[in-house]
Amino acid sequence: MKLWQYIIRRLVILIPTIIGLTFIVFVLSHSGGTNLVLAEYLNPHLPASARQAEIQKLIQEFHLNQPVYIQYFYWLAAVLQGDLGYTNTPIYSGPVTHAIELFMPNTIMLSVLASIMVWLIGIPLGVWSAVRRDGVLDQSTRVGALTLYSMPVYLVAFSLVIIFGVYLRVLPFSGTANLLLVQNVSWYQGGISYPTHILIIDALLHGNYIVALSALEHLILPALSLALGSLAAFIRLLRSQMLDVLGQDFIRFVYSKGVPEKDIITIHARRNAIIVPLTNFVYLVAGLLGGVVVIESIFNIPGIGYWTTQALLNNDVGGIMGSTLIFGITLVIASLIIDILYALIDPRIRY
Amino acid sequence: METKRESELRLSFKVLFRNKSALVGTVLVLLYFIDAFVMQVYPKLFGITNPNSLVENFASPLPLPPSVLHPLGTTAYGIDLWSSILKAIRFDLAYTLAVVLSGAVIGVILGVISGFVGGALDEFLMRITDIVFSIPYLVLALAVGFVIGRTYTSMIFALALVWWPIYARYGRALTLSIKTLPYVDSARLYGMNGLKILFKHVVPNVLPPVFVQVSVDLGVIMPIFSTLSFIGFIPNANLPELGYLTTLGLNYLQSAPWAVIFPGAIITLFSLAANLMGEGLRDVFDPRRRSE
Repeated sequence: MKLWQYIIRRLVILIPTIIGLTFIVFVLSHSGGTNLVLAEYLNPHLPASARQAEIQKLIQEFHLNQPVYIQYFYWLAAVLQGDLGYTNTPIYSGPVTHAIELFMPNTIMLSVLASIMVWLIGIPLGVWSAVRRDGVLDQSTRVGALTLYSMPVYLVAFSLVIIFGVYLRVLPFSGTANLLLVQNVSWYQGGISYPTHILIIDALLHGNYIVALSALEHLILPALSLALGSLAAFIRLLRSQMLDVLGQDFIRFVYSKGVPEKDIITIHARRNAIIVPLTNFVYLVAGLLGGVVVIESIFNIPGIGYWTTQALLNNDVGGIMGSTLIFGITLVIASLIIDILYALIDPRIRY
Repeated sequence: METKRESELRLSFKVLFRNKSALVGTVLVLLYFIDAFVMQVYPKLFGITNPNSLVENFASPLPLPPSVLHPLGTTAYGIDLWSSILKAIRFDLAYTLAVVLSGAVIGVILGVISGFVGGALDEFLMRITDIVFSIPYLVLALAVGFVIGRTYTSMIFALALVWWPIYARYGRALTLSIKTLPYVDSARLYGMNGLKILFKHVVPNVLPPVFVQVSVDLGVIMPIFSTLSFIGFIPNANLPELGYLTTLGLNYLQSAPWAVIFPGAIITLFSLAANLMGEGLRDVFDPRRRSE
């Protein structure tokens, strides 16, 4: 089988996965009755008679008199036409597609920054704790990683807030930028920046470097808390892979050839060891997705995670379905990419 | 026969205790279980009269620092942290065990069947596993909360629902690797029927690694459970639960950090101990490490 055939086969398998995922969540969130859907669209100020007419109209429009699994297919048909319904939360109410457009960029920015941090911190630590096995650095890295792994995400975040925000007072820990700086800026309105909705990029685009710096400062703590949660697993995996590679015959061979240790580690060992942790980034993505929900609520960052929590707590069916779709698609695509990367990198893998 | 079993057991303990960090982990996990047991059977032993609810003291509602009267200080509305943590451990352990065990049982049964039978059934079960695997636990927890109400029971149900796929994959992978071993082939050649091979050769070899995974997962679920509590699934505001205790102190983060640190540390410590214990147990069940 050729690689492109394999990719197409994987893509075809993706479709039932996403349908299954959304179906389960749809049925679960709609089996509580029709009131939740009605509450989302009904104008509470209508008089009783007009309200009844409105309810009848909504029942017709959303096919609420049909069984739940049939409603799902109406929903699916609407989604395929790009209509995800409406969301109604304290931080945003309006079409779900617009909400995603507003909140997604922030989450992407946060996750990208966090994964860069994972790699920047994780690769040297993982490599060196394997090279200097059982040394001081190795021992402390392992203890630190295990402790981080054991901590709930919110506790990691609050520890950072206590250390850097409260005691050292070096980093801000709420919102996306210093509000005094952006209050009279034309491209920043109602907590949303234009045109990309990522404050730091927009500030750079408009040449406002002070705001960009402030936005970056505000991103450090959330990104770091997000990164620390996923870091432990990354270091563990890299360390064990590195130990594996270092024990192989060809490493002993290059040692005996007289190649300097630095070159052996960076050229021969690290390059081989890093394949698995890098391709395993689907777990990184999964970890980050779970993390953003908590982290964004703690640091008041208007992203997908914050919106999801608000939707969940406010029984907002439209928001829940929208975010499930986003989370599901992201995870599934990440796992597709990892499979393709594996197939590309490692010729031993048959597909 | 008896002596062989005894020496086996002694060897297992020796392997477990050779690893100092595993020993510490095991002792800590046991302490948590002992505390839960005491709270269940005779809470007065620790001077606690009402193990099922938090005691508020509205006379001094603000968090107080640790003192002789309150060894770990107090949190919001004057709740004494030390006694509340002792009470909460029982609840958290029960929830965690319920999630992990039900997830493990469902997952292993499906995984072993899927791996052992193979073919179309395997493909079908693994597709379902993939689907469930891709549901973020928070989303599912909330969706389940809609249907059966936001209670701790429904959270257990939701987490078990997202947790079994891991065991299904693990059980399937183990079954597949055991199935190809020569002794299983020879058993088949001898004319042993499939069911007997399954229960006599496959299942006993799948269970030990799964047991290790269960002990590690105890440490994974407890932080997740407290995260759910943190986000706002607090059905009964007066139930002693570690995640809820942590959230009580959040408003006083700047003035009274101990109110967040102590309950959080108790969760982290358990998770850490369960991880260390799991690694020790892995050595116990690994024949290569035993013979060293």
